[in-house]
Amino acid sequence: MNGDLRECAVEVEGLTKIYDSLVAVDDISFAMYRGEAFGFLGPNGAGKSTVVKILTGLVAPTRGEVRVLGNPVSHLETRRRVGYLPELPTFHRWLRAKEFLDFHGRLYGLRGLLLEKRIKEVLAEVGLTGRENQKLGTFSKGMLQRIGLAQALLNRPDLVILDELVSGLDPVGVRDMRELLRHLKMEGMSIFLNSHQLADVEVICDRVAIINQGRILKVGAPAALFKGPTVLEVRVDQVNAELLHYLDSIALSVKRDECDPNSVLVEVQDEKEAAANVASVVHACGRSLYSLAPLRHSLEQLFLQIIDGSID
Amino acid sequence: MGLLLITRFTLQEAIRRRLFLVIVVLTALLLVLFMLLFSAALQVDLRANSNVNPQLELLASGIILTLPTMWVVYLQCSIMTIFLTVGMISSEVEAGTFSVIVPKPLRRVEIVLGKWLGYALILSVYTALLFFCYTGIIYWKTGYWSTQALGALGMLELAVLALMGFTTLGSTLVPTMVNGAIVLILFVGAPISSTVSSVINLITTAQGVVPQQSDTLQNITTVVNLIMPPDALWHGAAYYLLPTAALDFLPTQGYSAGILDIPFISPQPISIPLLIWVAFYCVVLPVLAVWHFHYRDL
Repeated sequence: MNGDLRECAVEVEGLTKIYDSLVAVDDISFAMYRGEAFGFLGPNGAGKSTVVKILTGLVAPTRGEVRVLGNPVSHLETRRRVGYLPELPTFHRWLRAKEFLDFHGRLYGLRGLLLEKRIKEVLAEVGLTGRENQKLGTFSKGMLQRIGLAQALLNRPDLVILDELVSGLDPVGVRDMRELLRHLKMEGMSIFLNSHQLADVEVICDRVAIINQGRILKVGAPAALFKGPTVLEVRVDQVNAELLHYLDSIALSVKRDECDPNSVLVEVQDEKEAAANVASVVHACGRSLYSLAPLRHSLEQLFLQIIDGSID
Repeated sequence: MGLLLITRFTLQEAIRRRLFLVIVVLTALLLVLFMLLFSAALQVDLRANSNVNPQLELLASGIILTLPTMWVVYLQCSIMTIFLTVGMISSEVEAGTFSVIVPKPLRRVEIVLGKWLGYALILSVYTALLFFCYTGIIYWKTGYWSTQALGALGMLELAVLALMGFTTLGSTLVPTMVNGAIVLILFVGAPISSTVSSVINLITTAQGVVPQQSDTLQNITTVVNLIMPPDALWHGAAYYLLPTAALDFLPTQGYSAGILDIPFISPQPISIPLLIWVAFYCVVLPVLAVWHFHYRDL
């Protein structure tokens, strides 16, 4: 599809989904590789969940080709190797945790001692040991998320598709789930993470696709995807016209800091190289350098820039 | 295998939900109430007709009371069918519980047929239990047992399956509330044409005129029975609940069997073409439901 020889966990080509007259997904193509953690980022209504539903067979595409672990989505043996946690984990409230996992384990084809063993293991993995006999109706949103993840991992899947994993979790839960996902990734599991939690994507994912209005805007490693000019904050004993002139000659732009008369904001392309040049310029102008530090844009700001850019 | 898992899950769900417990308890209470009322009514009847052979009087009471009692059984089973199955698929879709089941390694046909089979088992057993409990009480108290009781039970079971076929298809097509409204209106509306037909029949018989069916009325009744067959099946069941001797006896006394063509009763069994249609209906509607659910976005 893209010339990469690595084996694909998910291949999407020319995928389009139209609900009546609404184009939810508009001719998108991407590939996710085996063993990779792939983030699918986008604002609400971008088409993320529609893509996930197509990958899990809940929704049929209008056009395009989708292959999961090398096979069409409808392939039953492939489904045996895929785990899925939906965005809103609504389960049968009358079931106890163990019964719920037993039912889903059986749907995966697990039986007997193996199933018993896997239920214990996944309950421990998601931090629900001791809750086996508790009814799902009494579970908190975070606990439902955890038990939902447990059912997705029952079959030791090659690929797990997670839709907004940490939306209902408290900070401890978020940390635990990130740890678990990192552990699963190290074991070789492919993880498709649909999220608008940029922090998750930054911590867990190897590559990210950004989707908006049904179209993929960018695909790449998070660091590369959100790379842009860096602003260096330069604090000296005194800012004068000579210093500003020389800094301007080595930077993309130079601005006085309105809050601090002794500071200058210098926009540069390459942070490391520019920092050394800035220090030399300050020294050459006879000024004392008090501090030199990059001002980092948050991931959120960069993400919004990309999304806003697509709208413009 | 997936089909049996879904069936087992459906049975488990039905048993574990409080609704089922309420139904079982209320049904048992109704049975006890019926037994007490029936006993009291028989004692009053025997006292009022002390000059008649008590055995014959009891038997006559048994025959007369079997039909309304079984009509209540038919109504109870039909309402249960509507309540339990009207959201068979749609309620799961609306609640979002299918989103973790459908992506599992099983076909959608297994989900629909598994649920259908689960409810079919529950409702068939419920109908049979109710039928035998009520007819058993009548037999115990009066000694009357229709020789064609199993035929009547078969008709009632078919009525439940036909109704379920309708609700199954509806639950894959429309939301639960809409499906409930459609099936309830059709179920209540279906007996209207047969009732009107019976009333006209009664009036003409009372006037000494040979009853003649209006073509329009007949056509409407036929169409309604084709769309919603349970009412026709109840009439078939009612025929089997009557003693065959009574049906044979009427013509010898100069009465047409048509005098029994009143609401709730039928002087003839269900026609073979209609029976074939019902069998077709019970099979085709769930198959259509499977077909539609297979292509439905969730």
